[in-house]
Order: sequence, then C-alpha cells, then structure tokens
Amino acid sequence: MRQRLEEALRAANADYTEIRVEQVDSSWVHFKGRELDSVGSAKTSGGIVRALVRGGWGYAAFNDLDGLDNRVRQACESARLVGGVEQSRLAEVSPVVDRVSVALDEDFRHVPLSEKKTVIEEYNEIILGYHDKIETSHVAYSDRFRKVWFANSEGTFIEDERPDASLVLSATARDGDNVQQGFETVAGKAGFVIARGHHQKARAAARRAVDLLSAPPVAGGKYTVVINPKLAGVFAHEAFGHLSESDFLYENDRMKEIMVLGKRLGSDKLSIVDDGSIDGLRGTQKYDDEGVPTRKNELIKDGILVGRLHSRETAAKMGEHPTGNARAVGYRYEPIVRMTNTYIDSGDTPFEDMIRDIDLGLYALDMVGGQTAMEMFTFSAAYGYMIRNGEIAELVRDVVLTGNVFETMMHIDLVGDTLVFPPAGGGCGKGGQSPLPVGLGGPHVRILDVVVGGR
Amino acid sequence: MLAHRLIDKALKTAQGAQATVQRAESTKVSFENDKLKFVKSTQRTTINVKVVVNGKIGSSHTSDECDADGVVARALEAAAFGSPAHFEFPGPSDGRPVRVYDEAVLGVTREAMVQIGREMMTVVKDYNPDILVSAGINKGVRQTEFANSSGAAYQTQSTSFGVGVHGQWVRGTDILLAGHAFGWKKRDVDYGAIADRAVALFRMAQDTASIETGTFPVIFSPEALEVLVLALRLGFNGKSVFLGASPLAEKLGQKIADARFSLTDDPLIDYASRSSRWDAEGVPRQVTPLIENGVVKNFLYDLDTAGRAGTRTTGHGVGCSPTNLVVKTGDTSWQDMVADTKTGLVVYDVLGLGQGNPISGEFSVNLQLAYKIEDGRIVGRVKDVMLAGNTYDALNNIVAVGDQAEWAGDSLLAPPIQISDLNVVAR
Repeated sequence: MRQRLEEALRAANADYTEIRVEQVDSSWVHFKGRELDSVGSAKTSGGIVRALVRGGWGYAAFNDLDGLDNRVRQACESARLVGGVEQSRLAEVSPVVDRVSVALDEDFRHVPLSEKKTVIEEYNEIILGYHDKIETSHVAYSDRFRKVWFANSEGTFIEDERPDASLVLSATARDGDNVQQGFETVAGKAGFVIARGHHQKARAAARRAVDLLSAPPVAGGKYTVVINPKLAGVFAHEAFGHLSESDFLYENDRMKEIMVLGKRLGSDKLSIVDDGSIDGLRGTQKYDDEGVPTRKNELIKDGILVGRLHSRETAAKMGEHPTGNARAVGYRYEPIVRMTNTYIDSGDTPFEDMIRDIDLGLYALDMVGGQTAMEMFTFSAAYGYMIRNGEIAELVRDVVLTGNVFETMMHIDLVGDTLVFPPAGGGCGKGGQSPLPVGLGGPHVRILDVVVGGR
Repeated sequence: MLAHRLIDKALKTAQGAQATVQRAESTKVSFENDKLKFVKSTQRTTINVKVVVNGKIGSSHTSDECDADGVVARALEAAAFGSPAHFEFPGPSDGRPVRVYDEAVLGVTREAMVQIGREMMTVVKDYNPDILVSAGINKGVRQTEFANSSGAAYQTQSTSFGVGVHGQWVRGTDILLAGHAFGWKKRDVDYGAIADRAVALFRMAQDTASIETGTFPVIFSPEALEVLVLALRLGFNGKSVFLGASPLAEKLGQKIADARFSLTDDPLIDYASRSSRWDAEGVPRQVTPLIENGVVKNFLYDLDTAGRAGTRTTGHGVGCSPTNLVVKTGDTSWQDMVADTKTGLVVYDVLGLGQGNPISGEFSVNLQLAYKIEDGRIVGRVKDVMLAGNTYDALNNIVAVGDQAEWAGDSLLAPPIQISDLNVVAR
C-alpha cells in the first residue's frame, strides 16, 4: 500500500498533497423488540485525496481504489480552481513514518456473528422480561475496525488501526399515551469483551424506563443544578469544547476577541482539558488524520482560557502549534478540527457537600443529546432528581438544560473530587461528519442559575 | 447487470434474494468565512444484498464491485440465524413514473457552481459587510440497479442540486446565526431568492426584544415546523407502531389533531428530494395520507414490518420512514397571522430538537432564531429562550394555518402554523 500511495502522490501537481485510504470491517446485531431487527457484517473501503494549490483546497473522495492517479489529478484541478489569493497554508510538522497496531482482548473481527447474537440476545431478554409495562426494546451492538493508511507529499507515512465497539441497551416503557425510555451505553476502543457482562445495565435501563412513567416532567425555571460526570463531560464537549475548535475562530476576528488566550471565561473552579492520548478511550489516536501526534491540551485552567484545538491549517493562520485535533469520521471526509477526549478536571468537593445547602435544585444525570450554536447550548439529561432541603428527592423527566456558555461557566461554584470517564456511546457531529467517536469525562459539577426547559 | 449476478450467486444457497447496486458522483463547492474554501468531488459505490435462507433474513453491503463473492457470503452467514422473514420478494411492477432526473444538472461546471456561491455571498455582504458568510453548492448524479429473485428489476438515474447560504453576525458577545438552503433533483433553484431570504432573517434580527416566561401563541415558520413534525415522523413509522413504541399505535381512525391539520406522505412529487418510482425493496411508491382533517388514516410500512403487522407495505422500504411530507395549507395569510397576534413569537430555527423523548411528542428546545410579535408587528429577535410543549397537544391548539406552503429543508412542504399557549421559558 505504501508504494501504491507514494506512486500516486507523484501524479500530484500541487504545493501539498495527501492520500488517506481505509479498509473498514464492521458488524452489527440489533434487536428491536422480540425479534432481531438486523444482523450482519460488511466490508467497505475508500479514500480521499487532499491537494493544496496556491492556498486553495481540492478534495477527491472515492470508493474505487483503481485509478488513484486520476483522483489525485482531480483533487489538484479542483485545488487550482480555488487557489489564487493566498489563503490556506499548513503549519510545519516533522514527517512521521510509523505503524500503529492494536492488540484487542477478544478481537471482534474473529468473534462469529452467532456468538455476538447470543450475548446481545440475553440483554434483550432481560429488558423485555423486566416488567409488564415494558413495551419494547432496542439493543444494538456494533463494531468497526478501521485500518488507515496515510501518506503525504512531505514524506509522512502512517499505518494505523482504529477499533471501536459499542453497545446501546434501551428500554421503552408505556402506560397509555405515556411512553418513556431508559438506556445505558458501553463503548470503547476495545474487543468484544467490552460487550460482555452487562446484565445489570440491561436491568437498570428497563427499571429507569418504568420509573420514568410515573415521574413528572421537571417544572421549567431557574435552578441550582448538580450534573453527574457524564453530563459534565457533555457540558465540556458541547457547551465549551466546540468553541475551542479553531476553525470557528481563525478567520473570524470577532470570535477571536471573545476567545483571546488569557481571558477569564469561567469561575476559578473550572478547568477543561482535551486529551487524545489517554489509553483506551474512544477519542484516542496516536496520530490525527494529518499525521500529527495527539497530546494533552489544556483549554481552560482555573477559569482562564489557556489553549485551543488546531489543525495544521488553523495553527498556521493563528501563529500557534498544531495540537493533533484534525480528525475525519471516515474515508469520505477531509479532516476538520475536532475534539478527542474532553473532560472537566477534578476539584475538591465531595458529592454530599454539593447538595447539602440546596433548598430547591436539580440533580441531572446522563445525556440523551446536546447541541450548540456558538455561545448558546442545550443539553438533555436522560433523567434527573429534584434536590429538596439538601437531599435527593423525586425522579423527574424531560430535563433539558440551556443557556449561554460564558455565563454558565462563570456560574460553576463547586467541582467534585472524583474524575471519571463514563463509557459513552454515539459520537460527535460537525460539518456533516457524524458520528465521530469521542471520549467525555468529568466529576460532579454544581452550576448556579441554570435555565431548565420544561412544562 | 451486477445486481443479477449477485442474485444468481445468492440463489445457489438462498431461496430468495435482492440486490441493489448504486454508483454515484457528486461535486460540492464550499465557501467558508467569506472565501471560497474547497471544491470536492466524491465517487461512491454501494452494493447491498439481502437473502432469505430457510425463512431467515441476512444482509450485507460492500463498496467494492469485485467483492461480489464476499458480500453474498456475509449475507448468507447472517441468514443462518437472522430474523424470520415475514414477506415474499415482490414481482415486477411498473409503478407511477415520477421525474427524478434533470440532464441540466450534469452540465453545471465547477466554475458555474463557484459563481453561484459568489452571487449569493454578495447579496448578504451587500446587506451587511460585517456578516461572516458561508455558502455551499452541491450537485450529484446516481445510477441505481435493483433486482430480486421474484423477477423485479429496474434501473434508474437521478440527479440532485442544492444550494445554501448562512451567515454569522457577532455583536459584542452576541452571536446571531441565520441562513437558508434548498435542494431537490432539478437544476432550477432560485439561489437569488434563497440569499434574499437569508438577508430578510438578518434584517428582522437587527433589534433584540425580550419576552417573559409564560404561555404565548407561537407561529412556526415552515422551517421550524419540524419541531412539531418530528414526533409524527417517528410516530407514523409502522415499525414503531407495530412494536407499540408509537403513541399513535392504537389511534388509527381517531381524531388526534385540529380538523384543519392534514398530513400526507408523497414520494411522487416531481423532482422533490425524496421522490422515487420504487422504494428500496422494489415496491412502487404511492401517496399515503397520514392525517386527514385531524384523523389518523395510515401508517408507513415496509415489506417485513407489514408482514409482521398483518398489513400491506406502503412502499416505505426499508425502514418505514416518510419520504416527502406535505402539510395541507389553510386559509390565513402570513400577514394576517402576524397582525392578529397581540404578544407572541415567530420561530425559524431551534437548537436541541430530537433530544429527550421525541416519539412521545414532548419537545423542549432553545430558540436559535425567533422573533417577538407585539401588537401585530415583528419587533425583534429573542434570545436565551426555551420553548416547551407536546406535539399532540399543540396540534389540538391550532390558531391558524397559513395559506401558502413552502419547502422547508428538503423533505417537508408546509405552510406556517400558529399554536396557542405554548410554554416559553426566558432567562
């Protein structure tokens, strides 16, 4: 493959050219209700050429690996059409030649589909048999092994292996028109072993769906909110993380003023980190999709903005260093600035001390989704509990938190003492590239005056 | 045809088989932050095989035309313990022709696409040079081969063309995002009008207005009507109905909405983005009324789900999802709808749709682009406001239905609809 890519690169007539080719082996077992909804395996392959000519980008994506030279020429022609006025350039990095391979505990490529089905079916049975109010289930296992070859015109050649396995256990309970869901997820850069032994989680998902049937929707209003580690990770990622992706800033002078390094953006309890080099997490890669090594990047330290995430292009434009955050969701896509594993760093407050002095507040847990539009964010907790007179009280549903990220970060008044990285399924979407596996983490975090949507 | 070869291979072991081969080429021109950023071409090959062996289904896919043996073998492997098939592969059927191919799309050069982008950007920049503008222009062509073991076989070609322009206007710490986009299968897209629409949204947002927490009438523009329609997309899915996950499961023939609300799934609109003559299982597409004058008429089914539910497919394979949704127009002009509102909101875009428990109809969204109406006039943009409610309650609280429908996104054709008494939570 190396020879093939390097030969194709020679067909380029550009200032910079790269080729990324991938082979993807995937399999899935999905139950919906009693029956298997879908089971199977697939192999796909494809790639993308990126060419830079006089500051202009041309891309050519393909499934058909034959005629790679033509794809290179096509990307160069497109780049020539765009280039002219000096626009995009790339920050210098040292060329890398490396081969990254992974050893998986129970490599899912070698586990027969029948075995996967047997394991997943047990969880489905547990959910369906949990209670007569359980209407249906959705238990979805999927795995994907990406073998990636990357070569560029600067001499970098990397062969990388990127496994990802995930399991979603979801229960739907129903009482008349009232339909509620409970779910648990497991995911990681791991072998099939990660999908084993989750009978308790299946029961938990079913129990929550049933319990939510009798839980009232949270009353809308402003609350002191304690978020659990999973939600803290979502907050770090959705509310703030996207703003630290430099492609939002590098050509936007107004946003650069808002996000100037050294500025206070949060209370002094708040520190946020993105780190693509933490072993075993879903956002971990040795190199990003420009061949730049990943690393730990502090974004907010004690409330002060200290860093941001870069591709080679945004780093060059802003006079900073590449951070290893140029990522592509798959072979059809060009790398763009993305997070890896994003977390709120731990503080020093035990959980009990966070809720003790709250007369009326909300404890919000887990997530079912999050979205941002620059400084505005919303995220949906999977469920919550009211906090009354310093104690956890009744279960509530339809918990949606929203606000302005800058105000909200200033309102963080306590940060928990235990950092965890809960296994999160799904992934991040940006620029039409979804779902990108990312890691999320944090301790419990307390935020004052959060707007909670509800009825 | 490759599709026939795949079926022949599969039938050595399987009793039934279906194969689809798609080959597509597309081009995308992207402007970011006021500048032409990239031109991208994409070549795609997708090959899907479904088999039935001893009454059980197996499927697989590949991107490699040389992987015919592999894709069939994987489908057969999965069928060994797959889910039971509740259907027979359908025989040949002509269906009703619908226009999905426009030769004119093929002739659009990359240079012409760049020019369209520049013109749209200029419209927005002429209005306000401080707005940072992005734009996208896409075109595509796709060939599909389909065949099954019951003798159904077809080949179709379709095109696509779409444009969009979006802007970001930062004032202090206030960031306003607005824009407009449209795509279908025809070259004929009025990109000037799309840019004008984007400018109109910015113009209305020049002033900021505030609203207090409470209940207010809310007008959903066609673009925002998805807030209400999302639950219906999920709720009319025959699989959710069969599994009991849809709140509509036992509501066939019942009135669930105001009599002025009618909703139809129509895959036979010429050039609409979700139109096609056959579905992915070779079943002819048809027009399916979902809600007529507030009454639930039909759900959407594919072959297997219909078999399980004891009904017939509606041509929504695979997955029972809607194609183009059409909401019937009413009799109130946009002007009257606004003029008759004392205090209320007009919503264009929201954040956080689909989070939570969307199939239940519950929504709780952040108003990303919405305006306040005072005494019959739009007075400015509202910020940091959430809107919460339930689709099924809202559809019984309709104040007015607009008299003109527009494409919103590319698969919903709808008029604006005003709902009374929705919960608004302000900061």
